[in-house]
Amino acid sequence: MNPVFVIAGYVLREAASRKFILAFMVGLTLVLATVALSLKLEVVDGALAATRLFGEVVRANITSVDVALRPIFRAAAYLVFYGGILFGIVACSDFAPGLLSPGRIEHLLALPLQRWHLLAGTFVGVMTLALGGTVYAAGGLTLIFGVKTGYWTLGPLVAGGLACVGFAAVYAVMLTTATLVRSAALCAAAGFVLLVGGILAGFRADVSRYLEAGVGRTSFDAVTLVLPRLSALATGAADLASSTPLKPDSLGMLLGGVLVFGLGALAVGFWHFEGKDC
Amino acid sequence: MDLLVPAGSAFGLIGPNGAGKTTFIKSVLGIVRPTAGTVRVLGGSPEDPAIRARIGYLPERLHLPGTWKAPAFLATVARLKGLKPDASALLRLLERVGLSDAVDRKIGGYSKGMRQRLGLAAALLGDPALLVLDEPTDGIDPMGRLEVRRILQEEVRRGVTLFLNSHLLAETERVCDRVAILADGRVLREGRLEELARGGARWRVRFAPGAEASALLAAGFVPGDTDAQLLKGATPGAQADGAREGVYLVEATDVAVLNAALDRARASGALLMELRREGADLEAVLLGAVGSSPGVAA
Repeated sequence: MNPVFVIAGYVLREAASRKFILAFMVGLTLVLATVALSLKLEVVDGALAATRLFGEVVRANITSVDVALRPIFRAAAYLVFYGGILFGIVACSDFAPGLLSPGRIEHLLALPLQRWHLLAGTFVGVMTLALGGTVYAAGGLTLIFGVKTGYWTLGPLVAGGLACVGFAAVYAVMLTTATLVRSAALCAAAGFVLLVGGILAGFRADVSRYLEAGVGRTSFDAVTLVLPRLSALATGAADLASSTPLKPDSLGMLLGGVLVFGLGALAVGFWHFEGKDC
Repeated sequence: MDLLVPAGSAFGLIGPNGAGKTTFIKSVLGIVRPTAGTVRVLGGSPEDPAIRARIGYLPERLHLPGTWKAPAFLATVARLKGLKPDASALLRLLERVGLSDAVDRKIGGYSKGMRQRLGLAAALLGDPALLVLDEPTDGIDPMGRLEVRRILQEEVRRGVTLFLNSHLLAETERVCDRVAILADGRVLREGRLEELARGGARWRVRFAPGAEASALLAAGFVPGDTDAQLLKGATPGAQADGAREGVYLVEATDVAVLNAALDRARASGALLMELRREGADLEAVLLGAVGSSPGVAA
């Protein structure tokens, strides 16, 4: 088996033993089960006639199902995007520092692996975990609303995929940080800083207007220029989830920028780790 | 440093703390790169995964995944070594290192000695040609050490080259046939154990009580320390105690000279009880080598 996948399996096995990850999955299951069991949607000829939650009517006006579900899918897309990335930052912050810790890294590096296998395997393992969680959450939501309304859309799943792309850029920075300092806290901090920076980068033109012209604005523009525009990606994901039309080429440019940033961060990490004495 | 480890030998690396033993082992495995010079292992570079596939390594502080069970850990290591995990072979390996009773327990519940045994099992996976073990019996009880020593001796008999770094000099002495003494990043002494420990031409002789001291002195024997005094270190009047107990030393460059001296002693009525070559144990060799090296603290 390819060593990258063996290391990814190693990471996933470690993840499966983490109680808070299991607790998160149980919590997610409970939320989905609660929605499935407590939400009653009355659909007549493709129109949502009434919505009941725990038996109480929360919406009575008749609307087309796809239009009625738009705000729900939009909110779910934002929740999956930002909530997923935040949870991923916290939950996955110690995988790479753990793998690179003294006593484990010597053992791994003495095995017939290339150094990049370790980082690539960790990255693949974490992204598999993120993708699995996203598919479970977004897929569960799609399934529940699909069964209840007869309206099937891949929007929430595609939005979840975009959230994974955003998280991939964030985790690339966290992984590279781990090759510099073996600290879970600093890895999480790096991921959080990138998330905040990525949110600001998405609104860079708006924010820049409020800054006084000069070094400050120029610095802000320069820094946010190279950061992935995560908030714009989140909006794109929400638009897709709610079947709202996107601007032509905007998603492709966004995805391209995020991917280039993520691959660049990974390349720096791989390069640094290759030359490092452990 | 310049060090050659012959294939098939059991080689021990000893030295004081901070001598560079673990760093040297890491450079042998390609984990750290030498700032100058070259390292060749099994005829190739340690950076080559094909070479590392033939090496079994047990690090000094092996960090194991606490929530896993031993067979799962070994199966993962086997896959990373490019092997197809065989459940029955893994169980046999665990039995060999004395962990057959702990197969169903999580590694987190293992004692330090059990973790070392598991690390040794991981190092033995795939029948490596070279075993590099850094403090393999650290935390293992005396009976366990015997078992580990037996396993290592079996591996050496199989033709495996053993490279052992241990603070337990007695263990190194029992397992290894060659030793290098490392201090301050330099090899102070290196060679076959008996050559390093050889005391030269001095022999220790014990005569039965009643031996005439003056006759023995005339025959070339001088009073020596008793074994108990050797353990405590030299004290004033120790040789007098040695003479009372019949312990003497004699210089003899070859067996003919030795036998001639013994004949003279026996002619004076002394009865021989014990004869052994005066030699230094590994601890004395280490202390002697490190103590004579300027700027090195033992």
